[in-house]
Amino acid sequence: MKWNIPSLEELEDVIWKCTACGNCKTAYDFGPPPFYGEICPAGVEYGFDGNMASKGKIAFARGILDGELEWTQDFVDAIYKCTVCGGCQNQCELDHKPFIPEIIEAMRRKAVADGVGPMPTQKVIAQSMRSFDNPYQGPRRVRTDWTRPFKKAKNPIKNIMKKDAPILYYVGCTGAFNLPVRNLPVATASIFQKLGLDFGILGENEICCGSTAMRLGDAEEFKRVAETNLKIFKDLHDNHGVETIITSCAGCYRAIKKDYSLLDEYEDLLDGIQIIHTTDFLFNYFKEGKMKFTKELPWKVTYHDPCHTGRHLISFDIDEDGSKQWKGSYLGKSEDNCLYDIPREMLKAIPGIDFREMERIGSNSYCCGGGGGVMTGYGDWAAKNAGLRIQEGLDTGAEQMISICPFCHYNLNEGSKRIQSNMKLYDLVELIDMAL
Amino acid sequence: MTEIPKESKTDSRITKRLCEIVGEKNATDMKHIRYAYSYDLSFVKPKLPDYVVMPTSVEQVQGIMKFANQEKISVTPFTAGSNIGGLCIPENGGILLDMKRMDKIIRIDEESHYTIIEPGVSHAKLASALAKYNLRWSWPVGPPSGSVSSNALCHGIGGLSGRYGLNSEEITSMEVVLPTGELVRVGSCAIQEDAWHSCMPLPRVDGLFTGWLGTTGVITKIGVRIHPMPPILKVFTTSTQTLGHMASYLRTLGNYEICDDLTSVSWWLSQVPIPYPYKPKPDDAPEWVSFATTFSWTQKEQEAREEIWKMVVDEEIKKGSSLEETDYPEEALKARTQLPSQIVGSTKNYTKQAGAGISWPGTFTPLNRWEPIYDEWKKILIARNLSPSVRVTNYRGVHYGMLRAMIPFPKKDPEPIENARQAIVECLKVDLDHGGIPYKPPVDFGLEINKRAHPGYVELLKKVKHMLDPNDIMNTGKLAL
Ligand SMILES: Cc1cc2nc3c(=O)[nH]c(=O)nc-3n(C[C@H](O)[C@H](O)[C@H](O)COP(=O)(O)OP(=O)(O)OC[C@H]3O[C@@H](n4cnc5c(N)ncnc54)[C@H](O)[C@@H]3O)c2cc1C
Ligand code: SF4
Ligand code: SF4
Repeated sequence: MKWNIPSLEELEDVIWKCTACGNCKTAYDFGPPPFYGEICPAGVEYGFDGNMASKGKIAFARGILDGELEWTQDFVDAIYKCTVCGGCQNQCELDHKPFIPEIIEAMRRKAVADGVGPMPTQKVIAQSMRSFDNPYQGPRRVRTDWTRPFKKAKNPIKNIMKKDAPILYYVGCTGAFNLPVRNLPVATASIFQKLGLDFGILGENEICCGSTAMRLGDAEEFKRVAETNLKIFKDLHDNHGVETIITSCAGCYRAIKKDYSLLDEYEDLLDGIQIIHTTDFLFNYFKEGKMKFTKELPWKVTYHDPCHTGRHLISFDIDEDGSKQWKGSYLGKSEDNCLYDIPREMLKAIPGIDFREMERIGSNSYCCGGGGGVMTGYGDWAAKNAGLRIQEGLDTGAEQMISICPFCHYNLNEGSKRIQSNMKLYDLVELIDMAL
Repeated sequence: MTEIPKESKTDSRITKRLCEIVGEKNATDMKHIRYAYSYDLSFVKPKLPDYVVMPTSVEQVQGIMKFANQEKISVTPFTAGSNIGGLCIPENGGILLDMKRMDKIIRIDEESHYTIIEPGVSHAKLASALAKYNLRWSWPVGPPSGSVSSNALCHGIGGLSGRYGLNSEEITSMEVVLPTGELVRVGSCAIQEDAWHSCMPLPRVDGLFTGWLGTTGVITKIGVRIHPMPPILKVFTTSTQTLGHMASYLRTLGNYEICDDLTSVSWWLSQVPIPYPYKPKPDDAPEWVSFATTFSWTQKEQEAREEIWKMVVDEEIKKGSSLEETDYPEEALKARTQLPSQIVGSTKNYTKQAGAGISWPGTFTPLNRWEPIYDEWKKILIARNLSPSVRVTNYRGVHYGMLRAMIPFPKKDPEPIENARQAIVECLKVDLDHGGIPYKPPVDFGLEINKRAHPGYVELLKKVKHMLDPNDIMNTGKLAL
């Protein structure tokens, strides 16, 4: 299969578009009134310009390309001290804007190819992927532990390999293996059952989407699982009637929608299959009046926009052939695919909900600090950063923080514990399930 | 770009001492961190600092300066490094003093209209804080992440300079750590610790630190005037075929002192982005477009301003001017009137086509010299395939005239950088010979300035510098003395 995953060298021309203006170091919007906010978790924690935003990351990339910077342990460490959240990317307006996360990850790919990356703590992920097909060193049989209550209640969840269904619920490793967020697949499946949907899961045959491997620069491992998954998806479509794949993990969603599309055969393999995030999927039911919230939840809640269902889904318009401005010119962006309004709309529709908005939202949302391999590589910093986000939520008077990403959920929970706050974390589906 | 010296002068003993002063996390000699401070957007050749230090308190700044002075290590202050003149590129290596972690807004005095801030406070941060009080500052047309205090220190200019003059004229007090580590205060806060309202009527010792490009002391707090924000914005836009006609209009309108910003740009600068390489202006497009920003409290006040503006337009047309009321290109106008601006801040309007590099001959040049200088600049720039993207502005009524060419260039290869550098230095010489003075000058400009300067002036600079910085450690070499 032919992948178009660019090397750092292939990105050299766009790397030389950055002016080092530093606009990416803070989030700002004219308004009025003007909005200002810290946007780079790495910058907030480590502070030096090299650590900060795309200005710093591009400096590293240039240093590698012009031969000034050679790998040292500290340098490798610095390129992994980034959540690849894209907060910096959102501030830049130049032609390399669409490629900023790609540049960061291409450096990591180079580090991995040169045998110096990822960081030792993150290498565990790669090993786990190879041995267990998931990043959590979880034995395959544990993947279905969350389904037990359904079996007990005599509402077992279909194994799609055995019984056909039009909908595959692709659970994702975090929901399946990570105990504190295990209620996420439970709530999702419960809603699907309440809605009377015909769906199934891959169960012990589900393998990781490859997002974590990709974020860490392990392109080979990513390709292995991505290719396997795409073949499975095609088989499910061709032989088991699957038309829709739903995922409740922002990371899986981003990987399947965006990273997998770097494969030449992507369109063919996914022909006839819709990939959709649970939130988006449920919104259609909500809009059509097929999902009604009947129970009251008298909660004060705020909403955290995950990077992977927000900024990472921005599509960029590039002048590919030079007919509009010049070849490679960044012409504009569309946020149509970003899940900003949908989760808020559903949350606000739940009876009793008192919704409070934080300052940094939407495309200027402040990353929880867990992405880009940071939670595994730098757990302490990830939790510290999550504590900052929790504080922002507390400042609104909210008592619960809602998200649509199990990764954010887990990390924000760590942050809440770290600052000894009473903020409770929930996934939107948990609230929906309670309200139905 | 490249040409960075391979050899490093780092000494682990010094790093250790710096870590003791500011903490392990805030001092480093790691090359990848130093590398990120070795270049900026200008044509100035990259140079590596040997150490990077981020103090978080005045005491730490003092500790660093005492140590650096004792060891005779150069110190280059830095806030965001967006000055477009290589002013934070450490000519002599040494310590890069990154002040971004001292970023508190200490006070906003809504009654007496001043604010006290630390050097790391960005335009973006202050803008959002002041808006809550319906107050504003003279925001430069630069990155919102740039520092307010560094802008004021370097005689920065902004959206209110048409009315109030340079941002350095807005400074009301300062706290400074001298190159030898002593803490001093200038302005009212020197007499009463908590009084930050004015530099006058005391002797103007604030002048020891403004315009010195970080070579005489490290500012740790600054007081600056802030201004109320009238609700009605009206921007008058015009065009002319020649700079002579435009200058006449700007002079006549400037006389009435009704504008916060009174600026005109050549066709090339009104494009988003500036064309690179040079492309000819379409025949039917006017060569100069201008905007005059006015803010009013009431509709009547706005109408009165409009009446004056119309009067000026009539007067100019009677003189035979090619002046016309024109639409200013929308995005360019937004970029210049909605400040601070992300459009300009991210350099989109300047270098999006060229990529990576911008430098300028930026000068204070009396209005009556603009046209002859522009004619020569145009020839120099076009001969080097660069757009004559020139801006002219009146500050403080008609007092200061600003003339500047914003020159974008790609930075991947050395040739275009050198091409731009040579063109800009050539332009600068022309301006100096006409009596202009460059601002925020890179060393290349400093050399040209000092060549022409009165010997007594250069000697005075040297004496003052030596008095404050006996070991010449602060931003060493930057004044090209
Ligand atoms: C696209 C673009 C447009 C711009 N437009 C304008 C404009 O319209 N008007 C304008 O005035 N500027 C403009 N600038 C320049 C610059 O962005 C601003 O002046 C900015 O406020 C400078 O802040 P900085 O943090 O980048 O300063 P830096 O570049 O970090 O520092 C500037 C100088 O101050 C010194 N310094 C820094 N901190 C201290 C300290 N604490 N004590 C003593 N010395 C110190 C440094 O050594 C250096 O000499 C523009 C820049 C760009 C990129
Ligand atoms: S990445 Fe964009 S915003 Fe950041 S420094 Fe480079 S050009 Fe400026
Ligand atoms: S991707 Fe996020 S963490 Fe990484 S440099 Fe950009 S803003 Fe910082």
